[in-house]
Amino acid sequence: MRLRLKILSGFLILALMLSLAGAWSIYELKSSSFAVEDLLSENYKSINAGKTMIEALEREDSAVLLLMLGRRQEGRSILASADSLFLKGFEVASHNETILGEDAFIEAIRTDYDAYKTIWEKPIMDTEREGNLGWYFETTHGAFADAKASVNALVALNDQMMFETASAMRQGADRAVMPGIVAIVAALVFSLMFSYFVNLHMVSPVVRITDGVKGFLHEHKDFDVRVEARDELSELADSIRNLIAHARVAKEQGGMDQ
Amino acid sequence: MRPDVILRYIGMVLVMLGAFMLLSAAVSLLYKDAAVLPLAYSGVITLLFGMFPMVFVPASPKITSNEGLLIVVAGWLLSCLFGALPYIFWGHEFTFTNAWFESVSGFTTTGSSILTEIESLPHGLLLWRASTHWIGGLGILIFVLSVLPAMGVAGMVLFRIELSPLARDNFRQSMRETSRILLYVYGGLTLAETIALVAVGMNLFDAVTHSFATIATGGFSPRNASIGAYDSPAIEGVIMLFMLLSGVHFGLLFSTLIQRRGPFWKSVVFRYYVTAILIGVVVVTIALGGQADNAWIDSVRHGAFQVISLGTSTGFATADSSVWPPLAQIMLMFFALQCACAGSTSGGIKADRFVLFGKGIWKQIRHARHPRAIIPLRVDGKAVDDQALAAAMLYIGLYATIVISGGLLLMVLGLDPLSAFSGTIATTGNVGPGLGTVGSFENFAGVPGPGKWILTGTMLLGRLEIYGLIMLLMPSVWRRLATPARQEFQRVVLASRR
Repeated sequence: MRLRLKILSGFLILALMLSLAGAWSIYELKSSSFAVEDLLSENYKSINAGKTMIEALEREDSAVLLLMLGRRQEGRSILASADSLFLKGFEVASHNETILGEDAFIEAIRTDYDAYKTIWEKPIMDTEREGNLGWYFETTHGAFADAKASVNALVALNDQMMFETASAMRQGADRAVMPGIVAIVAALVFSLMFSYFVNLHMVSPVVRITDGVKGFLHEHKDFDVRVEARDELSELADSIRNLIAHARVAKEQGGMDQ
Repeated sequence: MRPDVILRYIGMVLVMLGAFMLLSAAVSLLYKDAAVLPLAYSGVITLLFGMFPMVFVPASPKITSNEGLLIVVAGWLLSCLFGALPYIFWGHEFTFTNAWFESVSGFTTTGSSILTEIESLPHGLLLWRASTHWIGGLGILIFVLSVLPAMGVAGMVLFRIELSPLARDNFRQSMRETSRILLYVYGGLTLAETIALVAVGMNLFDAVTHSFATIATGGFSPRNASIGAYDSPAIEGVIMLFMLLSGVHFGLLFSTLIQRRGPFWKSVVFRYYVTAILIGVVVVTIALGGQADNAWIDSVRHGAFQVISLGTSTGFATADSSVWPPLAQIMLMFFALQCACAGSTSGGIKADRFVLFGKGIWKQIRHARHPRAIIPLRVDGKAVDDQALAAAMLYIGLYATIVISGGLLLMVLGLDPLSAFSGTIATTGNVGPGLGTVGSFENFAGVPGPGKWILTGTMLLGRLEIYGLIMLLMPSVWRRLATPARQEFQRVVLASRR
């Protein structure tokens, strides 16, 4: 292999190692940034919707108590606005199904909320339910608790997913760092190896050729330099050997002529 | 010594490793799993490091024994180091120590693992894990010598150093032919087992990875519960047969099965190997038969599998032997120390040395009765000289010293005696699972970091048959290695000053 190619291959390998490591690190960091985006747009949205639904449910529970106390206008008004708030939250959550099995959680919320709503939609005032705490605890509160538990389950699912995504992001960050570390270590070792080879197979033959030429010029020693590699340096050594041989022949012929 | 020539030969090993890594990356791509980049980048780095010395250093068909020794030992060490790269890049459970442990365990065909959740690994990484067994099983350098074109005298030197002295006996062919025979037997057994496993219902990926691990007598399984996960007597039967075959000298397998040069039974080592395993199966079955909830049929099934698995240094499991009665455990530990025949992929002290040991004792007894008699020691009709006998005895002594020292060091690090000693026996013999906290259904994740380094040391000592690694630690070898480089450096420096 020619000298130029040898040197070029060393630098190319070094560049390839570092650029691949860089590209991979960028890819991992980019993946991490997408994961953050997903985290915010998917899980956080559902968690927020869940909180809205819980707040609405609690307001509805208070409104039912107001109705039981005979405060019709206030109670019905709170129920209407809380129902609207709940449905808004539910709309967001049901359109943000991003986790496997999340649809079952949404369906559970729908069922439990419908059951709860059926209870408080019916008249409470001027019936046997007014002021009936027994009815409240046996029917209403149970349905309220079920609906709240379903919403909490959805929030917990998204919380768990958020935690897992965050862990994966940490892994991604580690992975982004690792190619860099290995590339630095590999580049250092490679540089040492490269300089060793350059010294052994390029610098050293040049020194030996120079010594050989000096030996011939000053001490009339034979030029006995062998370069193992088949490259320009071995050709140079061969050329010098031929040149010296020619010079010797010319000198001997010159001597004979005289 | 010529460091550049040594680097060139090690480069060949790295090129082969890089190719296997890229193959695993391709499988990863096929399964669309997440290990593509870790495997591909590791493959590229390994290939580049391997190819670079070939660019600069011209081929040198002649190498000295010392150079050969360094190529073999450094080849193993660097293979383990580069082999750890895919694990390091994958992350998760793989710290540097854990990745090194898994890699050394793979290449030395030990099969001990630090993984607690193997099935969560992507297919590409599982294939790489099994490939380390397959490459290491035959001996990394022998694998390279078998695959690459003839390397002349250098190849012979490397072959002689890599192949265990005991293993050379059954080969009558030249080095080149012997390496071909090894590769044919190795490849043939792997292919045959893969087909047999698929035929009895295992999926192709599991069949390939298990075949790699069986024929190399490694023990890495892609399943958490090893072979026990399949709960299939047919699969266990196939694996038992191939474990037994992989424990036989490959030269003997070739001459018997391919060249039809007479039955296995002619070999005294083979007779001993099979008889010992049969006795082991009977003893372990009886020991297990006394246990409640352990039907006799299950005792035979699990007893036979475990004895063959440890007796061939494979390390697969179908049952948790950590909870077995002491007699069964002692039997298993005996097989973990002895293992199978030289010239196979098995580790341990080897059946051949046990035969020599037994014959040596018998010779001494006869000598005591007839002090003046000249009693020759013969194995398969061939006389064994006293030096070979002494070497075998010395090896057994050295092996015991390593096991005891390793066990004591692990105890100092906090392991209980059963786990410490069984773990050291299992890793030195390249068997895999020990007993206690490092049992067949457990793993080595709980061993402290320094303990993992000690165990990887014993794995390498066992695989390189002790002397190779010890010689590398001698300062004289390093002095010889440094001399030409230093002389060259001084020449250049002096020349530049002139």
